[in-house]
Order: sequence, then C-alpha cells, then structure tokens
Amino acid sequence: MKVKFRLNGETRTDEIEPNQTLCDYLHDAAGTTSVKKGCDTGECGACTVLLDDMPVTSCLVLAPQIDGREVVTAEGLGSKSSPHPVQREFVEQDAVQCGYCIPGMIVTLSWIQGHAPGASDAEIKRLMSGNLCRCTGYLQQIEALKAASKTP
Amino acid sequence: MKSFQYLAPIPAFDYVAPRTTSELFEILGGRGKELQLIAGGTDLTIALKERLVTPQIVVDLGRLRKELGGISVEGGILRIGALATFSEIESSPYVARCSNCLRQAAANVGTLQIRSIATLGGNLATASPAADSAPPLIALGATVTLLSRSGKRTLPVQGVFTGPKRNGIRQGEIISCVEIPANEVRSAWTRAAVRNENALSTVSVAVASTISGRRFGPSRVALGAVAPTPILAEKASAAMTGSEATPEQAARVAALAAEDAKPISDIRASEHYRKRLVSVLTRRLILQILSESMMP
Repeated sequence: MKVKFRLNGETRTDEIEPNQTLCDYLHDAAGTTSVKKGCDTGECGACTVLLDDMPVTSCLVLAPQIDGREVVTAEGLGSKSSPHPVQREFVEQDAVQCGYCIPGMIVTLSWIQGHAPGASDAEIKRLMSGNLCRCTGYLQQIEALKAASKTP
Repeated sequence: MKSFQYLAPIPAFDYVAPRTTSELFEILGGRGKELQLIAGGTDLTIALKERLVTPQIVVDLGRLRKELGGISVEGGILRIGALATFSEIESSPYVARCSNCLRQAAANVGTLQIRSIATLGGNLATASPAADSAPPLIALGATVTLLSRSGKRTLPVQGVFTGPKRNGIRQGEIISCVEIPANEVRSAWTRAAVRNENALSTVSVAVASTISGRRFGPSRVALGAVAPTPILAEKASAAMTGSEATPEQAARVAALAAEDAKPISDIRASEHYRKRLVSVLTRRLILQILSESMMP
C-alpha cells in the first residue's frame, strides 16, 4: 500500500507492505540503519524513534501506521558536522561503549532535553527506563544529557 | 518457541484506515472474526508476531483521533476519548484535578515509549486482568461508552472485562470514550511489581473517597491482577463508606480488601503473597488519603 509520511524532514511516498513493523521498515527498506532491532517486544528501546514528536519503540508500530505522520530517527537529530547537543555530549562524556543502544538512547534523551528540561535525576531515570544499556553506561548518559542542557 | 516465530515475517493481511466512523462501521459490518482493530498497537503487534491472532484485515483507528480522542470536562463529566494516549492522560490538567489515581496509574504504564502511543481504549479492550487503567477507573465510578452503527450503550468499566483477555464488546461495536464524574474526590493508586518500570503489575490497588466531618463519604476500593478481571472490592468499599476516618478503620478496610481478592498463584507471585500485598497497599493508600485530607 502507498504510505505518505515525513522521514527526517523529507516527505516520502513509499510502497509499504503492511505486515511489517516500523522498525524493520526503517532499518531494512528506508536506509535509516540507526534504528536497531533488539528485543522486538518493546522492552529494550534500541529501536526508539520519534513519531509526531513522541518517542515510540518502532518494533511495536506497524509500518503503515505512519501514514500522514512525521518520523525522526537519530539520523534526523543531527549530523557528524552538526551534531545534536545530546549527540555531541555522548562523545564528550564517553557515554558510548558497544553502541547498540545508543541511537535509541539519544532519541529518548533528546526528547527529555526538549520536553522535560531541568528534570530531576529520578525523573530522568523514570523517563529513560524504556532504554536498556547492557554496558550500563547510564551514569555517563545522564551526565551527557545534563551537559547538553547546559550548552545547547 | 516464540522466538522462532519472531524471525519469520508476520503473515500478510489487508490494512485499512477509515477516515470517519461511518466508514469504520461499514467495514465492521462486512466482516467477522478475521478482523482486528489497531489503536496504538503495542499489544496487537506482539500478538501478531506471536501468532496469537492471524487477522485477514487490520483496521487502523489512527485517522479517527479527532472523533475518538481528546480529553475534556463538560457538565461535571470528565470525558477521555478511547484514543487518548497514556502520555496525554498523564499530562492532562483535567485528569490531575479530579482523577489523581488515574494520573498516577497512567504515568506508570509501560515506558515513555509505550505511553506515547498506547491508548486507554486499547488497554480496556485487551482486557488484561492486570490492566493498570482499570482499578482507577473502577474506583472513580467511570463508565465506558460503546458505539455501533445502531447507536451507543454504556457499561460500567467492570462490564467491559468478562474474563482474562476477554471483553464484553460486541461485534460491530467500538469503545468511543470513558466518562468519569468530575467530583472533588480524593483518590490514589499504587502497585507492586518485580521492578519499578516496564513490568506487569503483581497487584494494583486504587482507592477513591471523600472525607468530611471525620467520616469517609462514598468510597471505592478497586483491585487489579488478583482475579480473572479487575474488580471492585465490594466488602471493603461498603465497610469504608460512611465509616470513621481513622487509621484503625484503614486497617479494617484493608483486611476486607484482601478477602475480596481472589488471586491465583502464577509466575509473578503466589496467591498468599498477593492477598498480603492487597492488604498492605490498600492500607497505605487509605492512610495517604487520610493524611492529605488533614493538610490545610
């Protein structure tokens, strides 16, 4: 079926099979390979993207559900030459180890930065609980978020 | 094993996204069991991957957000559209004002990513005994409005739940909204789970009451994950209503709530432990409501 949507600022009309998740579609067909499939059951957050400016686990969204809507992946937040403040601080604060959780983690933390500025540590932890980091780099990631909020 | 099925594609289905409810009822009228509705999709996508459902057609309600979404207060009634997400409920000032227990439960559903897309109507339709929205709604005396081509009917929230993962929604009907009396009621919700975030509730409890002249007014205690469906704790609610608002009475009501609970032992907890949790959590909530009522 034809699905019209915006992906990282670009309007697209794609032929999409409905029996696939948004995660599989974004990673395998749309070329946004930052979107990682981890658990495929909405537990780990590695596939997190913004749908109409809300973080969702794209493995729990059917691809055609994005018709008429806006999707942003980690690629859409910033680039190598012009990174998002959270992306910049992930590098500065050594918040990256194996890397698998990182794109999803950055999508969630960039949302927290924009929508819950000044959140307490407890609130940050509650909001990022849907993103698991098996390397347990959480403290550096929280530091990166705070640093990004100081110098946006 | 589930995990093998995850590797294979979901079996093909047709997908339609009606733009009006009349278009929706046209589609619902023409099909039977092989049809599945999708709202947020956080339950359905997993059911599709696990082959718990194998629909021929999936009907997306997402284009009906104007008609079936939104949160408003009118004529003393808080109306929450079926497609309102838990994030919207969590951050709604209307919900915070008159349905504190529902706000608390909404803020604890799943994770941020799940609350962003999962809907109240979907949570009710899935009819899990552990549905976190149900005990608050039962405690607040909420009703569910079901819409069909021939009109609408209203059920108490308990009426939507007919068994574990079984709902009382008839063929051709959809949940249109939930209505809550917008009263000056004190309410609170809490739960026990294996971890704080992203876990199914082992037990959840909601209490709603008013306190005047050192007595409890009309009161309801509701329980989740301790019976085949979320339940109103009838003995506890009756004993609380009109009784003296004291810590001793909180303990008595809590003991009755444990009697009202009919839990099973399963992977998350034993029957005995669940009953104990009901008593502890119920007492804690009533004490909380009591102490809040004493604040100036």
